[in-house]
Amino acid sequence: MTSPVRELSFAQAIQEALGLAMAADDRVFLMGEDIGVYGGAFQVTGDLVERFGADRVMDTPIAELGGAGVAVGAALTGMRPVFELQFSDFSTLAMEQIVNQAAKLRYMLGGSVSVPLVIRMPTGSGTGAAAQHSQSLEAWFAHVPGLKVVEPTTPHDAKGLLLAAIEDPDPVMIFEHKLLYKMKGPVPEGHYTVPLNKAEIRRAGKDVTVAAMGIMVSKALEAATKLAAEGIDAEVIDLRSLRPLDIGTVSASVVKTSRLLCVYEGVKTLGIGAEVSAAIAESEAFDHLDAPIMRLGGAETPIPYSPILEKAAVPQVDDIAEACRKLASGRA
Amino acid sequence: MSNDAGRAKPSPDRGNRPAIYDHLTTAQVRDALRKMHLIRRFEESAEDAYVRGQSYGTMHLSIGQEATAVGICSVLADSDYITSTHRGHGHCIAKGAEVKRMFAEFLGKETGYCHGRGGSMHIADPSKGNLGANGIVGGGIPIAVGAALSAKKRKTGAVAVSFFGDGANNEGSFHESLNIAAVWKLPVVFVCENNQYGMSVSTERSTAVKDISTRAISYNMPGVTVDGNAFAAVAQASLDAVTRARRGDGPTLIECKTYRTRGHSRSDRNRYRTKEEIEDWKTRDPIERFEAEIAALGLVSAADIAAIRDAVEAEIKDGVAFAEASPLPSAADVLRDVYTV
Amino acid sequence: MPTEVILPRVDMDMESGKIGKWYIAEGGQVEKGQLLFEIETSKAAMEIEASASGVLRDVTGQQGDEVAVGTVIGRIFAKDEKYTPPAKAAHAAAAKPEVSAHTAKAAASPVAAPADHDAHGLRATPKARRLAREMGVALAGLQGTGPRGRIQAQDVSGSSKPSAAMVKDAAGINREWLVKGSGMPLVLIHGFGADLNSWRPLLGSLPPDVPVFAVDLPGHGKSPLTGVPNIDTMADAVAGAMAGEGVSSAHLVGHSLGGAVAAALSARLGAGARSLTLIAPAGLGPGINGAFVTGFLAASSEAALAPWMALLTANAEALGPALVKTTLRQRKDMGGAAGQAAVAAAVFPEGTQTFSVRKHIDAFAGPTKVIFGLEDQVIPPSHAKGLAGTAGVHLFAGVGHMPQLEARAAVGRLIAEQVAAGSRAGRNG
Repeated sequence: MTSPVRELSFAQAIQEALGLAMAADDRVFLMGEDIGVYGGAFQVTGDLVERFGADRVMDTPIAELGGAGVAVGAALTGMRPVFELQFSDFSTLAMEQIVNQAAKLRYMLGGSVSVPLVIRMPTGSGTGAAAQHSQSLEAWFAHVPGLKVVEPTTPHDAKGLLLAAIEDPDPVMIFEHKLLYKMKGPVPEGHYTVPLNKAEIRRAGKDVTVAAMGIMVSKALEAATKLAAEGIDAEVIDLRSLRPLDIGTVSASVVKTSRLLCVYEGVKTLGIGAEVSAAIAESEAFDHLDAPIMRLGGAETPIPYSPILEKAAVPQVDDIAEACRKLASGRA
Repeated sequence: MSNDAGRAKPSPDRGNRPAIYDHLTTAQVRDALRKMHLIRRFEESAEDAYVRGQSYGTMHLSIGQEATAVGICSVLADSDYITSTHRGHGHCIAKGAEVKRMFAEFLGKETGYCHGRGGSMHIADPSKGNLGANGIVGGGIPIAVGAALSAKKRKTGAVAVSFFGDGANNEGSFHESLNIAAVWKLPVVFVCENNQYGMSVSTERSTAVKDISTRAISYNMPGVTVDGNAFAAVAQASLDAVTRARRGDGPTLIECKTYRTRGHSRSDRNRYRTKEEIEDWKTRDPIERFEAEIAALGLVSAADIAAIRDAVEAEIKDGVAFAEASPLPSAADVLRDVYTV
Repeated sequence: MPTEVILPRVDMDMESGKIGKWYIAEGGQVEKGQLLFEIETSKAAMEIEASASGVLRDVTGQQGDEVAVGTVIGRIFAKDEKYTPPAKAAHAAAAKPEVSAHTAKAAASPVAAPADHDAHGLRATPKARRLAREMGVALAGLQGTGPRGRIQAQDVSGSSKPSAAMVKDAAGINREWLVKGSGMPLVLIHGFGADLNSWRPLLGSLPPDVPVFAVDLPGHGKSPLTGVPNIDTMADAVAGAMAGEGVSSAHLVGHSLGGAVAAALSARLGAGARSLTLIAPAGLGPGINGAFVTGFLAASSEAALAPWMALLTANAEALGPALVKTTLRQRKDMGGAAGQAAVAAAVFPEGTQTFSVRKHIDAFAGPTKVIFGLEDQVIPPSHAKGLAGTAGVHLFAGVGHMPQLEARAAVGRLIAEQVAAGSRAGRNG
């Protein structure tokens, strides 16, 4: 029995997931700044407070560390909190509770507790919010054992990953790219989940593998359309799960195409693509590489304000296309 | 509601018999004494193992602070929560931990509370409501607030107690936690064990207020200062705060003035305080005072005390033997329990 | 029992300590809590108090001594306690738990580093190296088309143009694409006395969309005879022709002598040989119809050649007079049958097959079929016995030495099975 599918925006899909989860499970509740009557900085929580009440959609004071710690404590003692940080940049204020506590409590306590906490954050650049409100910090958290980290790129996945995260017994961080909130896409009604540990091939191809995350998936697909007209057939993989990384899917693709380009918005050095590159070099795909692995990542700079600079600081569609051309023609 | 910052409530006149002894049974009083002895002997044994090089890492001893731990926990049930600090052995024992599993954890054994993964600073026993000692100063405070939020939502009637030291009261997490707890009227009791020193910096030099309990005013909750080495005073303050919390009236801040006669950790040269100060506090030993008080009230006899001491000695000895005989974890299991699934 | 005075651990990572000065001398009285001695550390001196009251005896650590943590350096006897000397080997050995600084190592999957002696200093992609390894091609002879002269996969396997650098194509035997296309081809190797055209009648029965590549063996068809014409050199020649055409992987099909060549070739190609189909192959036993070989070679007229060629098939009319004519004409064009005679002399002297390819067939790891006609009068079908059980043996009743002609539909089907089986398990390349 398949559910009806309709067009929802990314933000609406997330709201739908939150509503479904709260309706199904009393233990689920939301915490965050301005998520109640205001509806959330990006209007994600919307009117959930009217449907579920202020006891379940809780506005916190501006206290990211305290809020995160309260969420940890609630998760430790039988609740399933979904904690919204207004910008992923503010995770820096909550680092202590996320990295030292949530990620490590289960392990340090020898497996006697779990921390079923979900932290949702808008991430990334392109809104002119400048350096302190535009970062892509996924790599920091993907580096921490004990955390799970995902980044949906479609409304369908935004809903399914969030429902999976809420049902998961471990701390899950969900990065939602700000530019995607208004993106529309098909979303089935009702409950479904998307696995927290699988990449997804968004476009099959045979000439070059493009492994991308976040908003870069859309850009890679755009580049692939341009390249198809030039006779270059790109396979675009949405990494989707950043911890753990689904290297198997990327490896199988590289065995097929022999060429790999990693595209990510986070700073290029020591970013997610750096890990993908190294893992592929260690995998069975190594003997199938017919060109060096290439990476396109964010520039080594804080995100600038002026639009022309803001764009120059992160990979764009033309950058992706040009890199693929180099790879496909043996000029890399 | 007046704020009793800086002064302990005077006990009703029962011929010098503190009211708390009407609330606690004789068995509970004796158990409190037993626990205080157990903490003292445990800390001394742990110290001995440490100086002999038998345990790994470092440890933070709470010798001299027994009355705070036991007094606060004497009115709590297993379903109530505590979060604790890096100096948390006493809190763990006061909340019902078995010393043998604590010894085993110090020795990094598989049979320890954390199966050797946590060590001294992360002992926890969720089955007894102990959400863990914490290695981050101020790390456990918001977690206790979260546990209180959870208890309120689930309507269990449980309260959460957050133990922290004077050093933590300057951390952002302290202020954020008290504020949230007050705004949301949560059943949490904040217990500051003010032993006068952070690591080496005294509260005088680090904290803008003389009595930490006065910070309660900023967060619109009652603040109480008690003699942390007087079991009855501590237990009474705890009972008041816990009762208030269970009633749904929100949080309380209790400041227990106490002292640690040992250094911050074993590496401490004690250069930041004088011998005289240390000696002076040793005369106010909380166990001696408690013993004297309850003996005078006829709640315990000399024979009872001797029996308690012997039982504690035996428990310590058995615990050490258990720990020494226990196996180490297997290196092959190093990745176990990072995740639940 | 006296109270032991030990050197205590005072810092987390401390394993030994240097004794500073003693405040109490050997034999002196000490009160509990009184200063007893100092430990010198890099931080500052640490004062150690006496943990008991009494008389200090058996001081073993002197000022300046470096001793291990936990070592007993003195003993305090209580006031009324009788002195007893220390027991031998009373060493407060610290039973340190076995802790090694474990960092969880992510399992590193072994990287298949090829021992490529040809490639020192050469730039070549991992894929190019692997292909070269599989094809037995020396990287050193290749021209790299990548940046900084890097050899890429296309430089090894070639696209559609033959590369002059293909080392093994020196023999330069004649070859032809009987069916053009993309994908893994069939390589057809004819038998003694025939040439690549002898495969044309079979083409209609072969699986569609499979390219077909055929050669003229040395001394046959348009191929000159160069060098020693034995099975191995002939296999080398075919390998060279394949490399010259950029074919690195193929399904091998050989008839009669060509079957023996195909078996030997399979050993050279390794993973490049995807399946092996041998039709009435030579090389499985000593027997061959020597009279046929001799008579076939000696004949110079249709009347003399026809009866010998009639022996090739069970049904005398199957070959037809056209083939006899063609064979004679070719013989004239090449100036006689000297090349073929040389081959015959080398491989079939005195009516005997002097070589065996059984070991190649048994060693071949891919799908294998051996096809014989039960009426074969040139090579006895009993030669098919004794092969490895994994080789499929197909015996056709009413068929002679040319099943590919006499039962072409069936043979085509068997070849199609080989193509399907051999393509499934393959790797990229």
